[in-house]
Amino acid sequence: MIKLENVHKIYSTEVTALRDATFEIAKGEFVFLVGPSGSGKSTLLRLMNRQERPERGAVLVAGRNINDMPDAKVPYLRRNLGNIFQDYKLLANKTVFENIAFALEVIGRPRHVIRQQVPAVLDLVGLGGKQERFPHQLSGGEQQRVSIARAFVNRPLILLADEPTGNLDPATGEGIMRLLDRINKTGTTVVMATHDQRIVNMMRKRVIQLDRGTIVRDQARGVYE
Amino acid sequence: MISRLRYTFREMWASLSRNLTLTFAAVITSTVSLFLFGMTLLIQEGFDNQLSEWTGGVEMIVYVKHGATPDQITYLEGALLSQTSVVQSAEYCDEACSADLATTLLAGDPGALEQLLPGIPSLFKVTPIDQGSGAVLRSLKAEFESLPNVVDVKTPDEAVETLSQLKSFFGVRTLVMSVVLLLASALLIWNTIRTAMFARRREIEVMKLVGATNWFIRLPFMLEGLLQGIAGATLGSAFLLFVNNDWTKGVRGFPDNSGLAGFVVTDSYPVWVCFAMIVLGALVGAVGSATAASRFLDV
Repeated sequence: MIKLENVHKIYSTEVTALRDATFEIAKGEFVFLVGPSGSGKSTLLRLMNRQERPERGAVLVAGRNINDMPDAKVPYLRRNLGNIFQDYKLLANKTVFENIAFALEVIGRPRHVIRQQVPAVLDLVGLGGKQERFPHQLSGGEQQRVSIARAFVNRPLILLADEPTGNLDPATGEGIMRLLDRINKTGTTVVMATHDQRIVNMMRKRVIQLDRGTIVRDQARGVYE
Repeated sequence: MISRLRYTFREMWASLSRNLTLTFAAVITSTVSLFLFGMTLLIQEGFDNQLSEWTGGVEMIVYVKHGATPDQITYLEGALLSQTSVVQSAEYCDEACSADLATTLLAGDPGALEQLLPGIPSLFKVTPIDQGSGAVLRSLKAEFESLPNVVDVKTPDEAVETLSQLKSFFGVRTLVMSVVLLLASALLIWNTIRTAMFARRREIEVMKLVGATNWFIRLPFMLEGLLQGIAGATLGSAFLLFVNNDWTKGVRGFPDNSGLAGFVVTDSYPVWVCFAMIVLGALVGAVGSATAASRFLDV
């Protein structure tokens, strides 16, 4: 599903974000990217959705090298990827329903599809009945659930989550992880950057550990070290 | 398709109403610059109308009696062209052509025109070989006046020369001013769109990450700029038509010998100028906003 081959990313002459990163993620896998701040976790996610391009190496998503992809094709790649962020990135002036509908609207989904899919995904994330609320009327955990619903509403092949539990208390974070696990069980590949030791140890999924841009460990059913 | 259109217009309207002050400023600047642009064209046309007798190097007009026969006209043409060292051409303008010319020249004095038309003379427009021979041509005025069937001979006076100089003076300066103001309005529209996009940069980032195309994001902003340009041009056009109408009425009230009866534009030309203003306004708005919109799409 995702394959990186000798990927090298440099932000400036002093900052090398990734050095010869090579790994493969199969369809339906749940993978943690772990490591301290600045180790290159977020860079890896940004390379996977073509927010960044590497200086060297290949990033293949669904068999296609996305570095060579023309800019005009990138939106179509991103329709198969869901993005979840630490700060949720919800639009404050839109309701829960509108925030999720927005993701479908901007890719041209018709109204009747939106009316059908948004309540369904809200039920999936456990927010049925809260669709008319605004983000500021929700708790942090609920806001992150809306963010997950928005990422998943289009049924993407891959979910990229950048520190999704970073702003949440442990109990709420666990709830979010259970939700991501449930989504993963539907066949969606989940790649999650985190430095939340407790969550990684609890989930026991594949762990790719980075240190100053280098992959130092790739372990199936791993723990945080 | 319908949902995209609905989205585009809804977002355009939301953005316009969120930035009312800037939108107002952009529309007003467009109005002023496009009005000045249109005014430049109308002033030029007014000068052209006023000087329409003397275009193409004509230095003398020989008026021929109303109802002169073709033989008489041929004789006169021969007499004028016989001055081979001075006269380059003698272009005949029959009574219908002369009536058209009079209609242009006396557009601001319909009473005089009405009196003139029934017995209007035809005329010859005489062009000298060069600038130097123009003076010699003028010295032949009395000789040409004595030819049979000639009712009058006219040479350009100082007023015509002054008008020609004024035309080039105003033409260049007002054109430069209107171009500068057009640039200012394009910049203001650009800034309005940039501000609108900056305010919505988070939304744009989300749109890009969920797979919206650049055109989908750009379109409401481009429409917003386009609308600002068109609104400015429409207001400018309305103001221009009002000013032109007011000036035409004013000229009709001038004394008969003011010499400004031709300095009006009464045909369909102002409508074409308004059309050009609207096209230009739309262009300025669309280009300004498209340039601004492209700056925030690099996610």
